[in-house]
Amino acid sequence: MSTKDMMPNFDLFQPSDMGNAFDLLEQYGADAWPLAGGQDSLDWFKDRVKRPVAVIDLAGIPGMNGINETANGIEIGALTTLTEIAESPLIRDSYGVLAEAASRVASPQIRNIGTLGGNICQDVRCWYYRSGIDCYRAGGNTCYADTPEGLNREHCLFEADRCVAVTPSDTAPALVALDATMVIQNTDGMREVAAEDFFIGPDVDIERVTVLEPGDILTSIRIPSTWAGANYYFEKVADRETWDFALVNVAAVLRVSGDTIEGLRVVCGGVQCTPRRLNGVEDIVRGSARDEETIELAAGSAARGATTLNYNGFKIPLMENLVKRAIRDS
Amino acid sequence: MADNPTYKLIGKNFTPPDIEAKVTGASTYSEDFRAEGMAYVKMLLSPMPKCRVRNIDASEALALEGVYGIMTADDVPVFPNPGEQILTNEPNFVGEPILAIAAVDESTAANALELVNVEYEELPFVLDPLESLYPGGPDAYSGGNLVSSLRIEEEDELGDIGVVSHKWTARDFAAVDEGQLPMGQATMDWQYGDLDAAFNDAALVLDETFVTACNSHHSMEPRSAFSYWQNGKCYVHGSTQSQMFVVPGLANLIGITPDELVYISEFCGGGFGSKGGAYAVMALPAHFSRLISRPCMLRITRAEEYYLGSARASFQGRAKLAFNDQGKMTGADIYIVQQGGAKNPFGDFGAAGTMVSLVYTPESMRFRAIPIGTNTTPCGPQRGPGQNQMSAALEPLLDKAANALGIDQLEIRRINASNHETLTGGENRQKVSSSYMLDAIDMAAERFDWSNKFARNGERNGSKVIGVGIGQGYHSAGIAGFDGLMRILPDGKLHIHTGVGNLGTYSYASTSRVAAEVLDMDWDNCVIERGDTSKHLPWTIGQFGSLTTYTMSRANYAAAMDMKQKLQEIAAMDLGGNAEDYDLANETVFNINDPTQSITYAQAAQRALELGGKYSGEDPNGTNPLTQASVAGLAGSGLIGVARDTTPLNEHISAMVATFVMIELDTETGNYEILEFVSSGDCGTVNHPLGLVGQLRGGACMGIGMARSERQIYDPQNGLPGSVGLYQAKPPSYLDVPAFMDVSAVDQPDPTNPMGMKGIGEPPVGAAVGAVLAAVSNALGGYYFNRNPVTSDMILNAASGREQSNSPLQILTQ
Amino acid sequence: MRPQNQSRRSFIKGIIASGAVVSTGGLMFVSGCSENTLSPAAGSVERLISLNINGTVRRVDVLPNETLAMTLRNKLGLTGTKIGCDRGECGACSVLIDGVPNNSCSMLSHRVTNKNITTIEGIASPAGELHPVQQAMIEELAPQCGFCTPGQVISSVALLNNNSNPSREEARQALAGNLCRCGAYDHYLNAVLRAAEEIA
Repeated sequence: MSTKDMMPNFDLFQPSDMGNAFDLLEQYGADAWPLAGGQDSLDWFKDRVKRPVAVIDLAGIPGMNGINETANGIEIGALTTLTEIAESPLIRDSYGVLAEAASRVASPQIRNIGTLGGNICQDVRCWYYRSGIDCYRAGGNTCYADTPEGLNREHCLFEADRCVAVTPSDTAPALVALDATMVIQNTDGMREVAAEDFFIGPDVDIERVTVLEPGDILTSIRIPSTWAGANYYFEKVADRETWDFALVNVAAVLRVSGDTIEGLRVVCGGVQCTPRRLNGVEDIVRGSARDEETIELAAGSAARGATTLNYNGFKIPLMENLVKRAIRDS
Repeated sequence: MADNPTYKLIGKNFTPPDIEAKVTGASTYSEDFRAEGMAYVKMLLSPMPKCRVRNIDASEALALEGVYGIMTADDVPVFPNPGEQILTNEPNFVGEPILAIAAVDESTAANALELVNVEYEELPFVLDPLESLYPGGPDAYSGGNLVSSLRIEEEDELGDIGVVSHKWTARDFAAVDEGQLPMGQATMDWQYGDLDAAFNDAALVLDETFVTACNSHHSMEPRSAFSYWQNGKCYVHGSTQSQMFVVPGLANLIGITPDELVYISEFCGGGFGSKGGAYAVMALPAHFSRLISRPCMLRITRAEEYYLGSARASFQGRAKLAFNDQGKMTGADIYIVQQGGAKNPFGDFGAAGTMVSLVYTPESMRFRAIPIGTNTTPCGPQRGPGQNQMSAALEPLLDKAANALGIDQLEIRRINASNHETLTGGENRQKVSSSYMLDAIDMAAERFDWSNKFARNGERNGSKVIGVGIGQGYHSAGIAGFDGLMRILPDGKLHIHTGVGNLGTYSYASTSRVAAEVLDMDWDNCVIERGDTSKHLPWTIGQFGSLTTYTMSRANYAAAMDMKQKLQEIAAMDLGGNAEDYDLANETVFNINDPTQSITYAQAAQRALELGGKYSGEDPNGTNPLTQASVAGLAGSGLIGVARDTTPLNEHISAMVATFVMIELDTETGNYEILEFVSSGDCGTVNHPLGLVGQLRGGACMGIGMARSERQIYDPQNGLPGSVGLYQAKPPSYLDVPAFMDVSAVDQPDPTNPMGMKGIGEPPVGAAVGAVLAAVSNALGGYYFNRNPVTSDMILNAASGREQSNSPLQILTQ
Repeated sequence: MRPQNQSRRSFIKGIIASGAVVSTGGLMFVSGCSENTLSPAAGSVERLISLNINGTVRRVDVLPNETLAMTLRNKLGLTGTKIGCDRGECGACSVLIDGVPNNSCSMLSHRVTNKNITTIEGIASPAGELHPVQQAMIEELAPQCGFCTPGQVISSVALLNNNSNPSREEARQALAGNLCRCGAYDHYLNAVLRAAEEIA
């Protein structure tokens, strides 16, 4: 085992336009690594686990930054920093759940360079996987967390498939709650993928966490105005208030009319490999009064179907409580 | 804290001479040094918790351009098992250094390391001392699990006789209930008072099994070191809390004599016990530099700091406590099994017993303990080693007793508080020199407004509930017998030489002010010489153990009195009369009967040079050989004051802190916020008010970390440590500690110190962890975790009636 | 095992015997770069770049995989920027990039060629007059071990540049990315508020 913090050699490219970036991605294929804020990427390089031949710094490409209003919502460049998102009056006023989620990521310094695109594309934080051992996700044939002795407090309640790691992102659940669309480009053109479909679990591909394939660049995130100005709730529960990953987080948007919750989307992070949309909760609450009975029913159903590991049973009451708060306090 | 009217300098704030460099970035830590032609050293670490290196093939690595050389265990001295090794072929923890490569830069060294092929033979390992104690259980060390010096007298120099394999019987394990600590043969076993009577007559008996966390020191500066050889001497820039205390050990690690070593440690980016003396890895660049004839820099990474930088030992403990109906602890029967770590364990276990005897003053007590090796990071001392684990374990239990007896939680602490007559436990019971703990408790209680705050305990607001808690911390706070050295130059300036190190407490400076106080020097005319052994420093205690303030104020006082005597003698020689006719004021020596008869210090220094002998440094005055060498180096430069602190000390110096907190705990998230924090300490006379409150608050932050987030975890399957990054090991941030902490001190002098001072660095940690854990238990209506840290998952499990994930004796776990 | 490059050994011995060679800050060698780096691919970044640091443009030879913290410390002699974790977790390496605090350990040097970089060495005036934040930290005895202090100064200066009258809570949030194991948080906050008064 060698020491961990000197990056292996790579070639660095700083394309100034998208076309150049796509050429490089095509040229290097799986050996290319598009770099956004670098806050997860550089760690992988320092660990010497991910070893791209060519690192393609996207920061110099015009048009991948900034927050713009569109005809039916907003479009956020994938390289927009988390600080910009947390402080944007537009996002705070209309899409507060995202602003709040962004403000809870890591630390001020990380938010100053970490991007929205990078935050949602970051790899899982399973401590076994991050230590560089040969688990399923790393191409091996075992999982060290999902064993009788494995230390799996941070691991998943749902949709395990060989791997039990969870999504670590705070902004991803907010984007799913807002029904965002991911704009992905490659040499063949552009495609849009709903946030809900953007994240993939180990059943689909155990070595990736998003649908992005070599050659793809996530260029922007579109948020429809559907939930603009809606009631919202975001809460992250972590061991530390700075620089920590959620044990569980919740992002919710609710459309309330009088006493009635007309519509809602509720999403939890930290409970499965992808942000988990709580359809059952939504079905219970939609069209109901915001009363004790609805809140209790919704909370009680939040974690239905969970399969606990040895150390993560607490995530069931935590999910239930966060959903309760999301509906009660939004 | 009010100004102390007795003194001109003591009790006053001042600007320490090194602080400006810290705010401008000019401060130089060991990794800030550069030299032409220097090489960068990187290490290959053991990937397994216990293994044997069968073969090393470095041919490809050595062929890499820019690589200067390799060092393996064959190239460095071997130290007695289970001591730390510089490099080893028999690693017994993940991250223990096996070999190192030096290259033109760090990238090249890291690239080269990947080309080294090492064949390992995997060996059985153990993480849990109880597993090792079970008949047939694995041993962590080569040849045993217990340091034999703890059990037998003789120790072989290099062999494996330094350790023995110590096992309990299957009957020992069967004799207890599931989840209770078994109690086989211990290595420490002392008792006082009539324990049986205490338990027979008790109004309440608690019998609790508990565990405490292993947690890292998280010093912000990893233990990097830089070294080169020049003119027959080895220069080492190291990261240590201490200065002179490091020298003998480091010289030994390098294989040279102390006079062949120049040790430079002007700044240290935090140690908290983990850098108190010399440690093995800091000698690696010196060895490498000798091998390749280049200056060598070893930058330690954060992950390496976690792997090999040591950690506080876990305890698996059992406390049987007897109380009478007034809440007096009449009996304490304590058993501690200490996680020994992979190397020679620090004596946390012994301190745990002393802590119980002094903080709770049980009328009778039995204390048993045993440290057992584990294939984990070495367990070295961490700020209040042993004492603070006991605060974490016992403070909530004191509330459990108070509740059961219907006694106020403040009152049970008051009734058990130590006083000036309290004796330590142990083989040789010692009386404390002073204890104002009751005053500290009362002071904090008043500032906290205890009765009104406690009335709010359990107050609910939706999912949030108020919890109030008290914690107490203790540490020994001073010893005697070290040297002071100072000189007055012909320009009249007082140069105070200090070898204590620069941990960040500024006590190197505040204890130097004792000399200035005695000699009535203007502080602006004083120069502190420190940070580099070539500056001729005296043999002094290191900066650890809450010892510096007490110990070095005594030593500097002794040397200042020697200086005073010499000044008086010189004045008498020149102006007539006897030395006793003269006194000191305003940097002059004057005749008490005729103050116009005087000479300045500058004149006296000039006269000292003419007089020679003891005045100019030709008599080291019975000091340590290292001090003697320094005195010789200074001889002829001015008037020398030098002395060993020989005033007898037969009492135990004790410092204590009482802390009160109010938290708001959210039963829906398991999180809590510390709303109010009040601490008061007994540290004798306050020397440096800002430095003191910095220690009280800083220690509290560490205690809060112990209470809420910090722990080392190890995977039981492969022995891999899981807390090797800050986000995994979780020291508290700005947002995890209270936004404001009220801290104060009793400020009553200790009779055994010339200025009344005692140390205070460590007790605030224990007081804080105890108070926070007590508050959590109180908020949950008397739910006792018997474990630290208490994390949100544990609180959620408690609040939702779920079983906890851990078994009661499980350590190093989540 | 024997050292490689025996031919250079006598040369180095000569240097060592010739007297003090140790310094901090001063750049004593042209480049610490490995000679074994593969020749860079066409179109990839140049190694020789210009960095605008503390108001001065510095030409420096930087590897593509080099972080700003390493460049500052190893190539430019600016060792006031400390590496506490090299993972963006502690904030000790904080510098201002166009006025915004960033962890220089988690930033490729090539990323900042067209930015204004301010390190701790650039906070005091060129004449050496301390910034009010630095002065206040001295007065509050804020630094203990001092290793995190440059980062605390950087975050504090950035805060006060944007908000000259922060509340204690705002200061707490702004400094949250700077760990201090000595636990001097209270004292740093006191210093920020004192400096704000000084500036006002």
